[in-house]
Amino acid sequence: MNVYLKNTLRFIIIALLQTIILNKITLRWWSEPVGFPIFIPFVYPVFILLLPFETPVWALLILGFLMGVTVDTFMCTAGMHAAATVFVAYLRTNVLSALQPRHLSEYAGLHPSIRTMGWMPFLVYSAFLIVIHHLVFFSIELWNFSNVGFLLLKIAASSVTSMLFIVVYLLLFTRQSATRS
Amino acid sequence: MRNFILFVRRFFNLILFLSLEIVCVILIERTNTLQGNDIISSANAVSGLVYKKRSDVVYYFGLRNMNDSLLNENAMLRRKIEDLKSIDTLKDSVALHKVISNDTNTHIVKYADYTYRSARVINNSINASDNYITINRGSKDGVGKNMAVISGTGIVGRVEHVSAHFASVLSILSAKQKVSAKLRDATIGYIVWDEKQPDQLQMIDVPPQAKVKKGDSVFTTNFSFFPPDILVGTVMRITVLKKNNFQKLYLQPSTNFRRLQYVYVVENKMSEEKKRLEDSTVKK
Repeated sequence: MNVYLKNTLRFIIIALLQTIILNKITLRWWSEPVGFPIFIPFVYPVFILLLPFETPVWALLILGFLMGVTVDTFMCTAGMHAAATVFVAYLRTNVLSALQPRHLSEYAGLHPSIRTMGWMPFLVYSAFLIVIHHLVFFSIELWNFSNVGFLLLKIAASSVTSMLFIVVYLLLFTRQSATRS
Repeated sequence: MRNFILFVRRFFNLILFLSLEIVCVILIERTNTLQGNDIISSANAVSGLVYKKRSDVVYYFGLRNMNDSLLNENAMLRRKIEDLKSIDTLKDSVALHKVISNDTNTHIVKYADYTYRSARVINNSINASDNYITINRGSKDGVGKNMAVISGTGIVGRVEHVSAHFASVLSILSAKQKVSAKLRDATIGYIVWDEKQPDQLQMIDVPPQAKVKKGDSVFTTNFSFFPPDILVGTVMRITVLKKNNFQKLYLQPSTNFRRLQYVYVVENKMSEEKKRLEDSTVKK
């Protein structure tokens, strides 16, 4: 499939998945402990993580902004998700080139995935960027550093759940074509 | 000029990154004022439509709960009607005087005129620090900005963005707005939310001499945009602030924000006049 068409479809699927299904999953950990934050998993940054290796940074930034604004529109948080996603999009190229053994231009036509990178590097790559995303997003959302413990707890709990959902997403939507092709 | 172009080409990515972040900050800044921006909100046509489609699917799963809540509300309304009917004015000695006389020196003072419109909740959030609810009524149905929104059991929030067919409501679970409230003995305080638990509201500025018990009810006052005497919640826990001895009450909200399905948008036809008068005094 054409790479543009494929990523457009992925954009729509991830945006709908996030806004229609995941935004309804309000999680509480272990029944109802006092002061433990409630949160929802954010899976939409995976769109930025899965763009092809050689995507130029400006395209990443603009796509990140579009994705963020789309999610913002649905969640009534104008600009907050966009700011976090643009930040992640800016960092993505540096993180990838630090993790990959060869220069990024040598991976023509491939996109970061468990198949092309291996389990461990891909998990490090996605976990790092997801934690950064949540850090930026929740800092902007709370905008109140008087209660740093609560903020960190929210970031940690939310990142762990988002990562779980992202791994599930990848296992569901990655074609198992390694054996076939 | 050449140097400038070289500079832009060299740092194009950084410049683009910074400018996009500035756009985001401007958007956030504009939303944090109470006016808000209407374009990027869940009341716009596209997201409203998507939420409506989703709600049409999920609607049937909640019918049972909704039936129960409507029955409870019916019972409550019937009880209120009975309360009003059961006073027999003819035999009452007070009724010997004319309650409303046609003399020129007495007249009925009317300070509010409420219209209730029912609306279905098509999207709802409780996890953010400013929670929004999207409803399926918009300006075509007469919903306007800053109208109060209540549920069958208690208060919900205030309309913030309106489009033709949808409106988004800033719920009481928000750091942005505080609402004045009173205890049964008319002690006034403020309702705020600490951005943590959707099952807990706080009432601050309760003076030290007010006698509060666990389980007391808290109602809205005449001063807020809500109609008066609507239940806010019940007191769960009472703490006393050390610095000024004021009490801080933790309330259990009477509205269950987790499963909100029907709400009423309340329009006060006289609020416009009241606001104009208040604004004109502030200006002077």
